[in-house]
Amino acid sequence: MAARLIEWRTSPGAPPEASDAQEPTPSLGIYQRRWRKFRSLKRGYFSLQVLTGAYVLSFLLPLLVNNKAIVVRYEGRWYFPAVQSWLVSLPLVGGLFGSDFYSGEFFGQQGNPGECNYRLLQKQYAADGSMNLVILPPYPYSPIEDVTIEGNAAFLAPLERGPDGFPRLLGTDDRGRDVFARMAYGFQISLSFALILALLEYLVGVPIGAALGFFGGRFDILAQRLIEIWATVPFLFLVIIVASIVRPDFILLLLLLALFTWVGITVLIRAEFYREKAKDYVAAALAIGVPRWKVMFKHILPNALVPIITYFPFSVVAGIGALVSLDFLGFGLPPPTPSWGEMMSVGLQHLATGKWWLMLSPMMALFLTLTLIVFIGESVREAFDPRAFSRLR
Amino acid sequence: MREYFLRRLLLTIPTFLGATLLVFVIIQLAPGGPLEQQIMALRMAMGGEAAAGGVAGQTGAMIPESALQELRRYYGFDKPILIRYLSWLGVWPRELESYIAVPGRIRNIGEGRQALVEKTPEGYRLIDPATSAPLVGWYVEQQPSERGEERVRIYRTGFSGILTGNFGRSYTYNEPVMHLILQRLPVSLQFGLIGFILSYSICIYLGIQKALSHGTPFDLISSTLVFIGYSIPGWALGAFLLMLFGTQSFVELFPLGGFQSENYEHLPLLEKILDRAWHFVLPTIAYTVGSFASLTVLMKNSLLENLSQDYIRTAFAKGLSERRVIWLHALRNSIIPITANIGYIIGLFLAGSYLIELVFNIEGVGKLSIEAVFARDYPIVFGFTVLAVSVRLFGAILSDLALALVDPRIRFK
Repeated sequence: MAARLIEWRTSPGAPPEASDAQEPTPSLGIYQRRWRKFRSLKRGYFSLQVLTGAYVLSFLLPLLVNNKAIVVRYEGRWYFPAVQSWLVSLPLVGGLFGSDFYSGEFFGQQGNPGECNYRLLQKQYAADGSMNLVILPPYPYSPIEDVTIEGNAAFLAPLERGPDGFPRLLGTDDRGRDVFARMAYGFQISLSFALILALLEYLVGVPIGAALGFFGGRFDILAQRLIEIWATVPFLFLVIIVASIVRPDFILLLLLLALFTWVGITVLIRAEFYREKAKDYVAAALAIGVPRWKVMFKHILPNALVPIITYFPFSVVAGIGALVSLDFLGFGLPPPTPSWGEMMSVGLQHLATGKWWLMLSPMMALFLTLTLIVFIGESVREAFDPRAFSRLR
Repeated sequence: MREYFLRRLLLTIPTFLGATLLVFVIIQLAPGGPLEQQIMALRMAMGGEAAAGGVAGQTGAMIPESALQELRRYYGFDKPILIRYLSWLGVWPRELESYIAVPGRIRNIGEGRQALVEKTPEGYRLIDPATSAPLVGWYVEQQPSERGEERVRIYRTGFSGILTGNFGRSYTYNEPVMHLILQRLPVSLQFGLIGFILSYSICIYLGIQKALSHGTPFDLISSTLVFIGYSIPGWALGAFLLMLFGTQSFVELFPLGGFQSENYEHLPLLEKILDRAWHFVLPTIAYTVGSFASLTVLMKNSLLENLSQDYIRTAFAKGLSERRVIWLHALRNSIIPITANIGYIIGLFLAGSYLIELVFNIEGVGKLSIEAVFARDYPIVFGFTVLAVSVRLFGAILSDLALALVDPRIRFK
């Protein structure tokens, strides 16, 4: 605003009154400007592109990394087991689709009443010279198939070929499960978990923090005591204890963590509102009779956005960290859910015997993902910071 | 100011009570807690026998009511949760010892004392057989008996809980929890303090340098490194470092864990120090890394923010040297948010390191308590919770105190 005023004053050719004659060039909204600024920050923008791309791609994982075939043509009929498993894996609507299960005998795999082994099926069809056909996903292993399924072996090193001849990108773990597949699926689960967790936190934490900072007084003192109690509890430890007792699933773990993590943003927002409230513009707004909720959310909140925005990526990072820690201890998502924490704990057990890839793979995945998020967070902060161009002098 | 801190100190009491109550209630009410665990174990044992006898499916009914009652009493589940909490605190009398006796027969009740239960028309009376005087503080209760023989339980109650210094006995070690924790606290403290001092001294300096060279290659590269360090949890980085430097897979530079070598006791002093340092390198990096990044970034941002303030422009305008403006004017204000973090960071170092201790196999308090979670050794779990809560509470006061020290504008009321 101030910058535009100065601009008007110093540009002699275009007095403001002239602007209603011709259509003025539309000025950019604050969010457009921030978005532009964000895009100009290469590291963060690139990180966002990579992460978003990977996350969107990860929803196609059942078509890319799966032991089910994408296409099976058997005796003139077409089947799409992987597509079905992809549909089933979709959130919310997944339950509408039928089972993705086909037994081995269904496709003519002799003596296999269990889940069809499509890798063997492909070889079988190729060998018998019929018109039957199997097209496998690019990486034909599922994250949860172990040594009990033919073609898998425990402790394959990266790029080593398993008994079925396919090379394993990142080897297999102690139960013969494919490390690459587990890592890829772990990415989607971890990121989804942390994103939902962060949203839950904000839903609870921001309004509470805003109210506390704005109203202050006795209400604040009382609520502060409760929040203090909440923040004093060693939350991850408590969650570990509870998880060790109740063995939670995805939703329960989410709620359990959200129950304790909302305090973080609350404290930040409270402090911000507390500080902003003392400023003159708030007093002025209140003096001319602007309703208090409007002052809170229309006047103060935009000025308190920087910590809100800055905190979000870091709260996603914290969410992933908490999930990985819980999984590492074996109290996280129920097995055999592919999870980085569980992979690391297996890796740590086999560290002394030189199975380094079991540790390196999930570590790198965690490492890269979290670093990308932090880079995004840092750039977002810079883009939202109105003093972005402040230099030493 | 003094009144403020006095009040803060007094306020820790309700917070402490609230936090411990919260933990207590959550753990005790969680389905599958200690009592249910025990009942389940009993059922499994009895169910196994029953299954062998061909009556599987009826396993639930196998435990006699008296045994269930005994179990409930042992874990305190025969009382309401608030009473349980209060007696755990030590402000409500709890049963300290109990014996089963037969009325009319003298019963030894430990420490050379004896008791005799007499039957009176009103019920039972407990006397000391030597003096025939009633025993003070002891109570008698009829005991259900299967074989028709009359039995009573005599017990003594008293105040004993965490406020009287009794944290209970560990189930696994069969030792007082307090003793176990005190035994391992020095190990954790050493790592915590070294990490704390290292991170503060490095971070403040690095943060200043980064703020002064904002936007330069040095800033960008160090930011990248700091963010990478921040993003990964300390224990995970520790495990990663162990993989790189603790095994033969890459470079074997450091031990695979532990606190000191096995032959530590027999080493000369200098080698003792070196040995300790050798074991300390990787864990200390893991300890420091998390708070390291946030402190550095906080320092940098806060200094940057201050440098864009009017008073800095004024200071420059009146011709002060850059060094003076930064180190005297800006720094004093920039250090405030860092100071406010002291308590939190201390808490983090003292009580947040169970995963690192687990990864590095350091026999500290954290490893003790996380193993207690695995073993469902609840006295240790509660003991550690009390420790963690206390550390955080005093950390918060310490933060305020430090804040008041560095910022004279702050007037706590």
